[in-house]
Amino acid sequence: MSTLSVISQKGKKIEWIDKAIGSGTMKDVYFSPDKSYVVGFYRNKLDASSKDRLNSIVGVYKTKIIDGPNGDYWRNLLCWPYDIVEHNGLTGIVVPTYQRHFFFMHGSVNDDMLGIKGQEKNGKWFASAKNQNRFLHEKEKGDLLSYLRISILLSRALKRIHAAGLAHSDLSYNNVLIDPEGKNASIIDIDGLVVPGKFAPDVMGTPDFVAPEVIMTKHLPVNDSNRKLPTILTDRYALSVLIYMYLLFRHPLKGRKIHDTDPVKDEELSMGAKALFIEHPTDRSNKPNLNDVHPSELPYIDVDKMPYTILGPYLKELFDRAFIEGLHNPQKRPTSNEWEEALVKTVDLLQPCQNSKCSHKWFVFDNKLSPRCPYCGTPYTDALPVLNFYSSRGKGKFLSDNARLMVYNNQYLYRWHTNRLVHPNERLSDEDKKPAGYFVKHRGNWILVNQNLPELYDVTNKVDIPIGKHVVLDDNIQVLLEKGNGGRLAHVQMVNKR
Amino acid sequence: MRRLPVYLLLDTSGSMAGEPIQAVNVGLQSLLSSLRSDPHALDTVYISIITFDKEVKVFLPLTELSEVQLEEVTCPKSGPTHMGEALEVVSEKVKNEVKLSSAEHKGDWMPLLFIMTDGKPSDLMKYKVMANKIKNENFGSIIACGAGPKAKEEYLKMITDNITMLDHMDSASFEAYFKWVSDIVNQGSKSAGVAEDLDLPPAPKEINIVI
Repeated sequence: MSTLSVISQKGKKIEWIDKAIGSGTMKDVYFSPDKSYVVGFYRNKLDASSKDRLNSIVGVYKTKIIDGPNGDYWRNLLCWPYDIVEHNGLTGIVVPTYQRHFFFMHGSVNDDMLGIKGQEKNGKWFASAKNQNRFLHEKEKGDLLSYLRISILLSRALKRIHAAGLAHSDLSYNNVLIDPEGKNASIIDIDGLVVPGKFAPDVMGTPDFVAPEVIMTKHLPVNDSNRKLPTILTDRYALSVLIYMYLLFRHPLKGRKIHDTDPVKDEELSMGAKALFIEHPTDRSNKPNLNDVHPSELPYIDVDKMPYTILGPYLKELFDRAFIEGLHNPQKRPTSNEWEEALVKTVDLLQPCQNSKCSHKWFVFDNKLSPRCPYCGTPYTDALPVLNFYSSRGKGKFLSDNARLMVYNNQYLYRWHTNRLVHPNERLSDEDKKPAGYFVKHRGNWILVNQNLPELYDVTNKVDIPIGKHVVLDDNIQVLLEKGNGGRLAHVQMVNKR
Repeated sequence: MRRLPVYLLLDTSGSMAGEPIQAVNVGLQSLLSSLRSDPHALDTVYISIITFDKEVKVFLPLTELSEVQLEEVTCPKSGPTHMGEALEVVSEKVKNEVKLSSAEHKGDWMPLLFIMTDGKPSDLMKYKVMANKIKNENFGSIIACGAGPKAKEEYLKMITDNITMLDHMDSASFEAYFKWVSDIVNQGSKSAGVAEDLDLPPAPKEINIVI
């Protein structure tokens, strides 16, 4: 196989091995000899505006996002093209090779019977109940925490794209790579980015992720003013679908309702004009019909057994906005920022399942009197402290933050718990990444050990808790975690008391 | 989840004996392994293989992709090509196997039909009748492939406009062809362009496409 090379637009020598390693909808992709980057050549000649778009992506937008503040963080989440080449009249983009953890290490069951070891971890593998239940190797599947973290990373990555005024335009499980085992995620195929008003999209998106308004108007000519094309608002729809699928292994709109006996028309209506959430609280007409599903889709397709409410109140609210209020009203859809916040808050509601064989290992604690893991049914029997957070708004006044932390054994407390103004994201300082304290069940009591909270104060008993000491978490006690601006007070509630 | 039924009609008449049928076997294996490593295909694809020479055989009944156990396709040393009867069998199979949507139940996707031959139908009368019938049945796509110098495009044109002519009958050509088949099967899960084009994915370079 021969190696070809050219001098890139940025004046670098770019080489590639002349055998395509893959083909997308528009590009053929080639490896560099050292496999540190790939070159994707567009099969068709690009017009001036497409070239202009690529120039902006590898130019100003790369400078702003990947070479800007926290660039190292974004480089991991966004597989950003960094150079352009021309060869035989065709245009190619130079993109970093995907990180190693985005390729299957174990692949499928039965000694990798599908032969997928070494293949890219396309997101679809993990969003499908059938693939999860029947094919994926146990060590590839991850747990609920994996999918929450992956959803957080994807929301954050999309937030960054949107903050730059860009729309991804084709977000789908084909265009993200996820690694549940290592809890990593990355958005790929960034060369289709849309700059509203400047670079128009050239794709509608991928089936399952195309927003209803785009499907409903696709029969109109591209330049018709009523034609809806991908925008930041349709990205929000696609993100909501992705998150729903990663957390519940089913599609939010694919239920029993039939709109046409022609499957193509039926699909178009059920994803477009007649789209209806399968878990709509009052209109149950699209609830999946368990007689019609493949056995391997169970139990996930059973919305009575696994309703979306098992993901807790914060995510429920956003799913309602995405698939009920905002389904046909794009402005009401949750933003990527709202998703990120709700997902981060949901992580604080997690409890480890007591069953070591549980498929999901974690579940969102629902504050019920007799809690049990919704995935394996194992009851949670222990008493459990919950910290309800309030924060200072000056002059000794504390307001509820609508945030809480479900405590479990050996869990850490962090600065983003103790201060309302600190967020666990790309801007978090190294200092704030260190634990502030931890929870442990000790001689029948739940205690919080102070590791790094100089101002920790037991309000109820009026005593300081110096670093290295602990406070016993009794029902109804109040603990001041931090005094300054944004500092939080925790009100302890003991649930599941006998 | 809707099923996507895929019917493969393969010519196993005498002229395929030797290298060509070997190449078809290799191609089928690589088609299967390529589909099996695709998470979308695993979710939906069901495959049936029907062979035709002097008799028509359901070589593989409609089977879920992950359950397919492929045996070697063989062919007699000589004999006619009952392509018309093959169309009749597939039409019957589709009628019995593909679930239609009703008011209560979601049906399957419209099936895909691939037909490959290296010659021309020996049962021409029947072929003409069936070609007309097949054309009007609910297939998502019908894609025909004429392999080698003796394949006659004019007959394939009676059932579809999607025709691929393979100049050679070696394993490289067949492998490239089956790779293309796998791309077509998976097309539904890929990004759709803004312009409403129902183009097939680009064919491999070795193949010459007649639209």
